[in-house]
Parts: sequence; structure tokens; C-alpha cells
Amino acid sequence: MFSKILSYALNGLEGVAVEIETDINKGMVSYDLVGLPDAAVKESKERVRSAIKNSAFVFPITKITVNLAPADIKKEGSQYDLPIAVSLLKASDQLLSDTDGIVFLGELALDGALRPVTGILPILISARDRGFKKFIIPAANANEASYIDGLEVYAMTSLKQVVAFLKGAEQRLPVEHRGYTAARANAAYDYDMSLVKGQAVAKRALEIAVAGGHNILFVGPPGSGKTLLARCIPTIMPDMTFEEALEVTKIHSVAGELSEEGIVSLRPFRTPHHTATTVSLCGGGNVRLRPGEISMAHKGVLFLDELPEYSRHTLESLRQPLEDKKITVTRAGGTVTYPADFMLCAGMNPCPCGNYGSAVRQCTCTPSQIAKYRAKISGPLMDRIDIQVEVDGVRYDDLAGDASAESSAAVKERVERARAIQRERFADEKSGMINAGMGEKQIKKYCRLSPECEAVLKRAYESLNLSARARTRIIKVARTIADLAFSEDILPEHILEAASYRSYEAEIR
Amino acid sequence: MNYTAVERDLITLSSITELNYKDKFTALSAMMSPEPDIGAIQKSLIKRCDIGVYNKVEEKYSSPEFRGYVFGELEKRGIECVTYFSEGYPEALKKLKDPPVTLFLKGRRELLNNRCFSIVGSRRSTFYATNGASTFARELSRHFTIVSGFAAGADSAALGGAEYRAVSVIAFGFDHIASLPNAAMLERVEKNGLLLSEYFPTVAPQTYLFPIRNRIIAGLSVGTLVVSAGLKSGALITAGHAVANGRDVFAFPYAMTAGEGAGCNNLIHDGAVLCRGVEDVLGFYGFAPPPEKRIELSEEEAAVLEIMKEDGEIFINTLSQRLGTPSFKLIAVLSSLEIKGLVARIGGNRYTIV
Repeated sequence: MFSKILSYALNGLEGVAVEIETDINKGMVSYDLVGLPDAAVKESKERVRSAIKNSAFVFPITKITVNLAPADIKKEGSQYDLPIAVSLLKASDQLLSDTDGIVFLGELALDGALRPVTGILPILISARDRGFKKFIIPAANANEASYIDGLEVYAMTSLKQVVAFLKGAEQRLPVEHRGYTAARANAAYDYDMSLVKGQAVAKRALEIAVAGGHNILFVGPPGSGKTLLARCIPTIMPDMTFEEALEVTKIHSVAGELSEEGIVSLRPFRTPHHTATTVSLCGGGNVRLRPGEISMAHKGVLFLDELPEYSRHTLESLRQPLEDKKITVTRAGGTVTYPADFMLCAGMNPCPCGNYGSAVRQCTCTPSQIAKYRAKISGPLMDRIDIQVEVDGVRYDDLAGDASAESSAAVKERVERARAIQRERFADEKSGMINAGMGEKQIKKYCRLSPECEAVLKRAYESLNLSARARTRIIKVARTIADLAFSEDILPEHILEAASYRSYEAEIR
Repeated sequence: MNYTAVERDLITLSSITELNYKDKFTALSAMMSPEPDIGAIQKSLIKRCDIGVYNKVEEKYSSPEFRGYVFGELEKRGIECVTYFSEGYPEALKKLKDPPVTLFLKGRRELLNNRCFSIVGSRRSTFYATNGASTFARELSRHFTIVSGFAAGADSAALGGAEYRAVSVIAFGFDHIASLPNAAMLERVEKNGLLLSEYFPTVAPQTYLFPIRNRIIAGLSVGTLVVSAGLKSGALITAGHAVANGRDVFAFPYAMTAGEGAGCNNLIHDGAVLCRGVEDVLGFYGFAPPPEKRIELSEEEAAVLEIMKEDGEIFINTLSQRLGTPSFKLIAVLSSLEIKGLVARIGGNRYTIV
């Protein structure tokens, strides 16, 4: 006897329908699973056997062959337990109902209960686009699924329940569609700009960085609040649209890091430790391809604290995704592309001992030690960090004084206005363009400099010993500063301010 | 390069790496007579070195291959030599107890004909010291050739300030300059100024060579300015040589608590001339003070500058509180002042008056 059940496989964030074919024949007792299953899928054999038995069904003792088609795609993960079990029940005539067009997803426990699986959201989206309508998924994944409109998704808790539902013995309603705004309203960040005392310069730089989408580097002594400042970045970024949130949720779903909520409505903030490997940052892995930290930070912030401590190789691997906003990972297991449109925020000490530039403590480093420390970060990577700003050592007056600091909401408002100006400016360009993304062509078109500005820039270039690439950076940042000031033209003071956000390149004194 | 026979002898002698600077000068002393007596040289050297070293020295000195090698290498690198007996050997150096026998030079040797003034300091210098070194060097280079070492910090700042009148005295052979962290700066000195060493180009850096080198810096100059020196700084050795040879010593004043300037304060206490500005050095030698510079300032810039003149160093935050101007507006103003060369950033969002 033969049966065919639908399920779904993921390759990166894109899905492919998988057919589970089960054939039960007379012959030597055997139970084979074919069709390029990985270790987790192979093990499903035993889970399925126990789950069927413990759900009060009979596991057929004859020759069983299960095939996962198409046979040339590698099948990963545990979501095939349920379809295999259903397929077996059908092939052994224990279930006679019609299962055509239903996609089954779910991992089975030995007692027949359904366990959640990763990647439900991208699977549903991909399957919807391919015309599938009806799904049976584990109840624990219901929240995630509820954000997808136009589908008939049934959330079940056990194999028994699935069979009862298919037989029509139990009536169930599909998962109710939930609006995104509801989730958004419940979400709030743990940090706020008003928590940051003092640091007026760094806060201003942060505002500019977010408004123009510039990557930012904080240089400051240990304990000066670099991390706190970085944590505030998501709080002043514009809210994510539903499309953005879905995109982010897809990645987090694949990585299995989705919270109970079922959707990522806050901008992600990722802080990989400096021992992170290239694979953990960029994605990959030999057992199962997984998105890396840069993809997990998609539409959010990637914070690299102690930047010079990361291995050079790891840092260099960021260059291409910073440019392309996505990363293609190629491994023996296949090739996948993950989006990686993140804002890079880095923190570092000014020198190995950390006291360089401190007003109270003496730096014990020689200039060559400092130069060597700073040289750990390559020029090409530095090119992609438009704003470098110093974070002052915290002084007691700043901590104690309660000069009411601005809240994130107020800053965010200004950021959103600056972003609106940019949307209008780049209406003809490819969508989503912001100031930081401007190339030479756009700079020429949108950043006309008056002769006066050119003169200021030239003087700055000569007397501050700037590099050639610093010029482009200064112009881009000046454009954002002008946007924040609602100025159509870039004025000399914008150039001057932009020129000061280059502390990393400043001479070591 | 055309050298006389005596010059060739001295250059060969200086290129023998087995001899230290004192041995070389002992040998030189024996040659002081117009008709050098090789026997006397032998005698004096045998007194100083052990016989194995002496034999090697003699073998090298008399071997035509070694001479060929020495002059070949010097030619290849474009190094000029000025020996004790050559025309153009600085008279001031001859007054040292043990002057270098040969000066290996790269760059504009005519700089040595001028009166020299040295500016030295420690590697780990504050902005106060490095900025002072570079402005003093700039002003003084109108009247003097500026002599300094080659290390990062104060010495490099002085060489940078003097630009076309800078002499850097190296403590080892020229071949090893390329591996220094500030090799690029020294390359500029070679192009615009002069590099000087008493060692054959292949001699590797050794810590004990540095204090020995300092006698040349002090010996070349009429005066030595110490811009920064801790209690054990090498700059104090230079100052010591200057005192021993009857040259003038100048020093920057420091606060009592400033460890990086304790050596300078000691010098002043012991009679060095205290520098309140470049006028103090210029006046000492009878030169007029430099003309005052006039720089156009906007209203905001003038206000900022006024506060900074009182405080010297200031955080942007403090400045913003004093003036009641939002700090991001001050960033632009300070940036403009920095471009005009009136203030400098010294890290941690602090600015200092220049």
C-alpha cells in the first residue's frame, strides 16, 4: 500500500515542497528512510515508531520504505516526524481521510505529543507564495503562524489529535490572524537615551549615525558607557514596518531563536563576543546551515565591543556584507543567501592601557604601542565606519547631576524627520537608500558643495592631515547633519562638525 | 666621493665594528699629528683592547678587501662621510671629550655649517611637550639648525617643526631606520634635512648606544632645550652633556605633580633657563621675538577661545555649560579653531589651547 503526504523543506530562507511517500510491502521486516535525510531526520524513524505505538495506533511490522522527494535536496531538521507518521498511518490503512493539499510540519515526542520546530514563518510564507493553503503545525508554533494572513493553519498538540481532526471526529478552528500593531504595542526596549548621563558629544554622534544610517565607532576608556550608548541605538531607530518585522522574524525563526511572542517587533541588537569566529558571525556551520550574527542583526544593530580584539580575519569578512547588505554562504551542504542589512556599532579603547586622553589617569602606552593597537583594524573596514567619536571618561558631576537628559522618543522623532527627508531625496534611487549608502555618483548629485564649503573642506583636509577617503565620509555625514537641521544645502558648520567625528584617525599625541 | 688618504683611514677605522667609540677616539688621538704614526696608534690601542680584538682590527684595517667593502657599501647607500680631519667637521663637536671620529651623513650636509640648537624630550610626552617642541623648533629654525634624536614623541615633534632645518642624530647604522615605527618621518628628514650617525650603516640598535649618541646632540649645539623629562629620562643625559661642555640648557616648566616633567623641573632648579615662551630662547641669543600672528575669528570662536585661554584644557561638556551653547554647535566651532591651528584635541573630547 502506498501513501503520499506533503511537507516542506527550507534552504536558507526559501522553501521547497517535500513529498513524503511511504510504501508498505510484504517481505522481510525492515524500515528504511531514503531521500537525503540528515542525522536529525534519520533519527525520526525511532521517534515515529514510538509515537505511533504510544498514540494507540499500530506500527506495521513488515517491509516499510519512506522516501522524501525530491531526493536531490538535503532534508534537515525535525519537522518531518509528523508527516512521516501520518503517511505511515495512511499507508497501513489506519487513516483513510483525504490529506491532499495539507502541509504537515512538526516534531514528535515519544508519547506522540507535537513539539515546536524552527523556521515555521519562512516556510509558511514560502508555501503561501507557491499556492499551498492548508497547514497542520505544532501548537507551540501557533503564535508565529498567526501573523501570516490568508492561510488555513491548524495548531495541534499531539499525533492523536491530528488523526482525530483528519477523521473529522474533532472540530477545530484555524489559527486566528493577528495584526502586527498589537504585538508592537506590547514591545518596549529596556534602555533609553535618558539613562545616559553626560556624553553630549557621543549622543549627538549617535543621533547623526542613526539618522543617516552611518556605522559608528565609540572610542573611550573602559567603563565610560560605550555599551550603554550602543544599547540605545535601537530605541532611536524608526519602528520596523510589518514587512521588515517579518523579514527579521524569518531569520530568527530559522535560527530557532524566536521568543514566545512569535514575531520580532523590536529591532534586534546583537553583541557577539570578540572570540566569535567568522562562521558564527557570517553564517554557515557544517551540520546545519545557520544564519550568523550579522543576519540575526538584520534591520537592527550589530555591536562589536573591543573591536581590536576580534580576529583580523573575522573583521575583514564583514566588509562585503556591509557593502551588499546580504551574505551568501557556501558550504558543502549547499549555498544560501541571508539578508544582512545591519548598522555596525563598534567600541574600543583608545589605547592598550585604556587611559589615553584621560584627564585624570596617565596613559602608560608608547605612541608605537597605540599605533600598533589601532592598526589592528584595517583601512578598508574603517572606510565603512563613517563616524568615529570619543566617549569621555565619566565624571562624577555628570552622574550625580540630574540635568534632565533627552528621552529616546524625542531623539527618535528627529531621526524620523531626517529619514523622511532622505526618502524624498532618494525617491528616484533604489528603494531604502539612505545617506550612508550614497556612492560617488549620488554624492555628486545630492551633495553639492558651495565654494565656501569647498574652501572649508580643503582647509580641514590640509591642516588636519585627513586621508583622501575621509573626504567622502565627511561629506556624507555633513549631508545627514544638514538633514537633521532641515537645511537643504550643506553649510560650512555642517562640514566642520562632520570633520570632528574622526577621532580614530586623529594624530596620536 | 673623493676622500684624502687620511680621511679614508679614519672612515675605515670608524667602520670597524669591533671598536667602541672611545677606542676609536683613542686611535684618533694618536693620529692627531699631521704625519700619523701607525706605531703609536698600535700602542695606544693595544693598551685599551685585548689582543684578539686588536689583531682583528689590524687585519681589517690593513686589508684592501675590507676597505673596498666599506667604501662600496657607503657608495651604494649614498652616504657621505665627514671625518675629524675633514673640512666641515663641526668645530663645536671637537670640544667634546671624545668626539665621533667620522660622521656618516644622509641628506643636506650644509646644515651642519649653521649654528645648531637641540630640542629633546621623552618618547612618552604630553601634548604640551610635543606641541611646544614643534612650535619652538619652527620659530628657532629661522636662526638655528635644529638637532634632535629620532624617537617618537618630543624628538619627532621637534624634527617635524623644524622641517627644512632638522638634523636627526641616529644611535645606530642607517640600515636599521626602516624598521622604526616612525620611519616615514625620518624619510622626510632625510629628504628635507639631515640624518647623522657615527656608526657604519650595518650597526644594529643596542640600548647602550643611545646615551652615547646623546653626547653628539649636545655637542653639536650651542644650547639644549628639554621639553619633557621624567626623573630618569634620556633627555637628562643630553642636558648633562650640554652642561659638561659649557653649553646652555633650557627647560619647560611643569606642575609639581606632573611626573612626566619632574626632570625638567629639576633642571630649572639646578640653573637651566626656564622657558615661558619661545621669546625666552630667542632673547637669550639676542634675537627679536617672532611677529604676532593675526587670525580672523568669528564671534563664537572668540568667545570659546577666551574661556579656553583661562582654562588651558577643557571638556566640550564644560565649555557647553559655561557658554550655554549646545555642545554639537561647539563641535563645529572647535573644529574650525582646530583647522586654524589655535586649539588641538587631546583625546576624550578635551581640547587644549595651542
